[in-house]
Amino acid sequence: MNRHLPVILLLFFLINPCLRAGTSLVTMPAKHKALLESHCTQCHNADKQKGRVRLDDLSFTIDDVVTAERWQKILDALNSGEMPPDDEEPLPNEAKTNFLDDLAHSMVAARKLLADQKGAITMRRLNRREYKNTLRELLGVEVMVTDLPSDSGSGNFDTVGSNLFMSANQFEQYLSIGREALDTAFAWELSAAEERIWRYETEEISKKVAEHVEWQTDAKARAEKWIKAVEKAAARPENAEIVAKLRKEVNNNENNFRRLWEQIPGAPAPASFGFKSIENDADKANAASRAYWLPYHQYYLEQPATDTGMYLAIPAEHPSVLDNGTVSFLLPWSHPAGVSWPGGNYIVRFRAALTGDGTPDRRFIEFGVNPRGGQALSVHEVTGTMDAPQIIEIPFTFPSKKAERADRSLYLREKGTQDHYLQTRRIKNESKDEMEIGMGRTFALWIDWVEIERVPHEDRPKPPGLAALDSTLVLDDKAKVPAPPIEAVRSSLTHFAKEAFRGKEPTPKFIDGLINKYQTRIKAGDHHAAALKESLAIVLSSPMFLYLAEPSLETKPHPLSTTELAVRLSYFIWGSPPDMELRKLAESGELKKPEVLAAQTTRLLNDPRSRDLSDSFAYQYLGLDRLDFFQVNLEKHPRFDNSTKLAARNEIYETMAWLFRDNESVRHLLKSDYVIINGALAEYYRIRGVVGDQFRRVKVPADSPRGGLLGMAAVSLMGGNGEETSPVERGAWVLRKLLNDPPPPAPANIPQIARLSGQVLTTEERLTAHQEEAQCASCHRRIDPIGMGLENFDAVGAWRTEDTYIVKDDNGKPVKGKEKTWQIDPSGQLYKGPKFENYFELRDVIDQKVDDFAKGIAEGLIEYALGRPVGFSDEDLVASIVSEAKEEDFSMRKFVHAIVQNPAFQTK
Amino acid sequence: MKTRRHILKSSTAMIALPALESLGFRRFASAAAAAAPPKRLVFLGFGWGVTDETWFPDIKTPGPDYELPVGLKPLGRHKKDFSVVQGLWNKYSVEGHAGSTWWLSGANKFAQPGQTMHNSISADQVAAEQLGVNTRFSSIQLDDSSGKSGGHGPGLSLAWDRNGKPVAAFNDPVKAYHRLFSSDETPIDVQKARLAEERSVLDTVLENAKSLQRGLGKDDNEKLNEYFQSIRDIETRLSKEEKWIGVSRPDAPIDEPRSGLQGKEEIRLMYDILIAAFQTDSTRVITYRQPGGQTLLDSIGINVHEHDMSHYITTKGEKLAASQKRDLTQSELLAGLIDKLKATKEADGSRLFDNVALAYGSNIRTGHHLTNCPTILTGGGAGVKLGENIVVPHNTPLCNAWLTMLHGVGVEAERHGDSTGVLKQIIA
Repeated sequence: MNRHLPVILLLFFLINPCLRAGTSLVTMPAKHKALLESHCTQCHNADKQKGRVRLDDLSFTIDDVVTAERWQKILDALNSGEMPPDDEEPLPNEAKTNFLDDLAHSMVAARKLLADQKGAITMRRLNRREYKNTLRELLGVEVMVTDLPSDSGSGNFDTVGSNLFMSANQFEQYLSIGREALDTAFAWELSAAEERIWRYETEEISKKVAEHVEWQTDAKARAEKWIKAVEKAAARPENAEIVAKLRKEVNNNENNFRRLWEQIPGAPAPASFGFKSIENDADKANAASRAYWLPYHQYYLEQPATDTGMYLAIPAEHPSVLDNGTVSFLLPWSHPAGVSWPGGNYIVRFRAALTGDGTPDRRFIEFGVNPRGGQALSVHEVTGTMDAPQIIEIPFTFPSKKAERADRSLYLREKGTQDHYLQTRRIKNESKDEMEIGMGRTFALWIDWVEIERVPHEDRPKPPGLAALDSTLVLDDKAKVPAPPIEAVRSSLTHFAKEAFRGKEPTPKFIDGLINKYQTRIKAGDHHAAALKESLAIVLSSPMFLYLAEPSLETKPHPLSTTELAVRLSYFIWGSPPDMELRKLAESGELKKPEVLAAQTTRLLNDPRSRDLSDSFAYQYLGLDRLDFFQVNLEKHPRFDNSTKLAARNEIYETMAWLFRDNESVRHLLKSDYVIINGALAEYYRIRGVVGDQFRRVKVPADSPRGGLLGMAAVSLMGGNGEETSPVERGAWVLRKLLNDPPPPAPANIPQIARLSGQVLTTEERLTAHQEEAQCASCHRRIDPIGMGLENFDAVGAWRTEDTYIVKDDNGKPVKGKEKTWQIDPSGQLYKGPKFENYFELRDVIDQKVDDFAKGIAEGLIEYALGRPVGFSDEDLVASIVSEAKEEDFSMRKFVHAIVQNPAFQTK
Repeated sequence: MKTRRHILKSSTAMIALPALESLGFRRFASAAAAAAPPKRLVFLGFGWGVTDETWFPDIKTPGPDYELPVGLKPLGRHKKDFSVVQGLWNKYSVEGHAGSTWWLSGANKFAQPGQTMHNSISADQVAAEQLGVNTRFSSIQLDDSSGKSGGHGPGLSLAWDRNGKPVAAFNDPVKAYHRLFSSDETPIDVQKARLAEERSVLDTVLENAKSLQRGLGKDDNEKLNEYFQSIRDIETRLSKEEKWIGVSRPDAPIDEPRSGLQGKEEIRLMYDILIAAFQTDSTRVITYRQPGGQTLLDSIGINVHEHDMSHYITTKGEKLAASQKRDLTQSELLAGLIDKLKATKEADGSRLFDNVALAYGSNIRTGHHLTNCPTILTGGGAGVKLGENIVVPHNTPLCNAWLTMLHGVGVEAERHGDSTGVLKQIIA
């Protein structure tokens, strides 16, 4: 129990110590009775009930919805300033602050108490993540599930059954996605042996530059000839009057003057010099005469290796005219044989080198899909030189041949050059001075060729869903084959259903229904395989597939069957169904043995599929959805480009995965002497000696602010809006995620502080205003000091020692003279806790509270594993997991083992 | 369902049809000799609140002679035809970021012990149960296509069914258009066979559900009930489809919309679809959870984050300006909708406007404030008093207004949500 919570817990123990159900009480501390009596009950009592509110009989124990609502009313009335009324004596500020602090926390506790499921685990359907994983395990393909509700973001984990609903619309989505998955799986299987490779020599792009230069040079010469001819005509004495008039019309702008060539007697048509355009041919001629980027393109052609490859340039022309800033290549539609390239596993490969002409930071190439709109999927460090270029390989899954053009368009480009047009413009402006020609940018990266290879997968074991089908059945739905014997269809459907239902037998009547569907489709003219898929899609929309059921008519808690235990275990660690080994141990009953269960837990954790637990727990526990709330302001934070953001996001996932893999202590998330980074992130953090795209453990010096979550750029980013920091967000995040002391949710109806708008204040001065009003102070006195202690990290996690505030006008433009710069003072004190002088001491203070953090992790993992919210009745369960984990210095895997071995995990 | 190939037929007739003489009226002409146009109900919810200082009329000038505040100026030409109601709220609402979840239900999030989230039926669905019997769609829900529910809170639309479960919406104007107006040209017996086939799919999964149910305890059974309910909902829809087999979909009074529009243009489009749906009597109840946050701001060129905008009060500057520009855009759009409601003629010569009851607003006033929920009522369908700044006692249940509107359009309901009675002040 957190020491701040004004809650008294009374646990009544049942006879069976394992199945102890608790009862707990939330009480508002009795000391606040005085305040209620002195300021409220005169008007709200048995005789006088102003506003029909009576408070003298209000119970200080909050144990039902009615009492909770009465207290909520008090909280609302005080927060909004409605009570006490203006003509009554106001509450003393400090007493009010403390009252609100305790009441807000009591309400959180009461809501938690009232939502307590007392250990009951509701049957639940697969959440979106598990549904996707399960289809992958069953059919061997990745499917898009974005049409389904995400199931996260309700404040609980996505495994909590009571929040996982079903609707008619969703049922139809399941049918449709199931069909899509079967289509893809059948197609992959049919093309299992197909091996294809396609190479693009990038000197093709260099050739386009050469062609463009040739055209530009010629057009410039023609345009100049035309201009001379126009000028000659304009100079004729008989034209003097009309020319003077026209020149005046266009304010002597020569370009615009030439646009009026038709009115100048004797001036030749641009068309006769080869310039045609829709509106005014002169526009084309004028533009050609400027040929602004010609020197840059000529400079490109002067580079030594344009005949064998291409240099990644900063985009100068519109991409429809010339694009040498990107290597775009299409995953081919058609094959010489006339068949489009099938879905499956691919490798994208390219040969590249550093030219030596770029600054050291310019050594990264981005890879992505859809060059016009998509964000990079990965970023790759280039170390090869022009003498010894290097080959980089990127594994890539191409789901379906049906993909649209945008999803087949792959690209490579220099990192951080084309995230946004403003970024491209800024880079051009910044780099032109370094160029002798006064424009463009040096070329840092050279590419020789790119290759797409489809990897055959004949030797891959058949996914269990396909293995369940009778091997004589034809899977090609274009093949006109005689319908197979119905027995073969029947046994296929039965085996498939049993596989999909995680070992449960379907009833004959259910199979009859599937057969009926199959035959109806055949009668309607469908080919055999198409009809089969229709029936199989029904299996994938049936409750035995969609729900993780642990049926029993027993009303009292009872042990799970070993099969149910196997399902719980594999969905906990893999988010997907048990594999053959686990199922066999379940069938034989061996899994019941604690040592077998422990060994299986370890085996599952060692399997790459355990990234599902690591990633989705990190995402949900740390609230990483916030990373996508804001666009980073790239003009203010130019170094934090999209690929850096990608690497920063991955740092969190990789660190969590590292803890699981190496069984490190979770305390390393609070403070550690190492970071888990790759070359791209090392570049951002300015840590030397890290080369390559793999994330690895790198030791940091003792005085480094990095090491632990608080030093991660992605965490800083979440505590702001991509432009400025938000000490309130950061403080609340630390309380919620690291100290397991969540502040109550932002209350409704609090009067906001308007008087500070337009004033030039430091962040601290602005925040101090929070502390004036009791409604604000009751929470912000805990939140703000922590947030202020993290102010040395800017909005994108770069270290800083000063900060600036600029007042902005209605158009978002800075107001001149309304600006203030100050030294950041991170010193402060945790509310009723230790003092700290700077960020490093704050980190130590938080590190000291590792027990609180471990408790938060334990509660999170329990909720995640059991699929129900952790209530007060779980105090004992939580305490035992924490103490077991503590025996091994809170090592990550110990939490998992302790939960799996706990009776709560093995009981329904 | 997308199993069978539908041959989509979409009309591109530009000229507004002689409204309501199409499908709906021919179909029911025999039932009533001189059919009065049906009553329709619309709720438009925009999630985040409005600018406190510049959206609300002065509460000291109640009645018809009030001055339109800046944020409502674009509605000036309709001043006599809408009312602003002030003082309403949902007393149980405590979520400062959920302007839509409980807006039409007035439910208490915490009402259900053992649950972290509770809701109950929304007013539109109460109406749909009675007004939706004779139309192809009992109700239509429209939603923000971006799928980002900024400011709206949990839910799939403004609508929640009788079990307090979210009701799905069309969130793509193009899809909505085709569902409403693209006829299924397949022969009737083929359509009937298709329905039979869909029913047999439902029978098959129900068989599976029943065998799963046999072993389940009480709580699990309740969970599985959601599945049964989903299947029942589809069955209801199929029965309705069956009734409508052979009745071709009405010609669309509007062009097929362009796809990919977001924010302001999407709202305009959805408003057109709303009118078209009423014109063709495809439904009589429509809700629209319209983009009020980031997608709207992006579409009008405002570079401020939605949540920052909603908390404009502490810094003002460009955030206040963004909030006000958002208000103006929303008011312009609403004014455009009212124009079209007035311009659309019914079969009996009256205006569509006269037969529609429309409520427009949010559960959030501004910032995290949940009192005096912004509320505009318009249309003549429910006998609501128009043209006034109606100030009701502070903290009057919003559900009283919904109950009054329900009664106004002829829906029988004793109470709704936390209503304490009808709101006499808004009755003409």
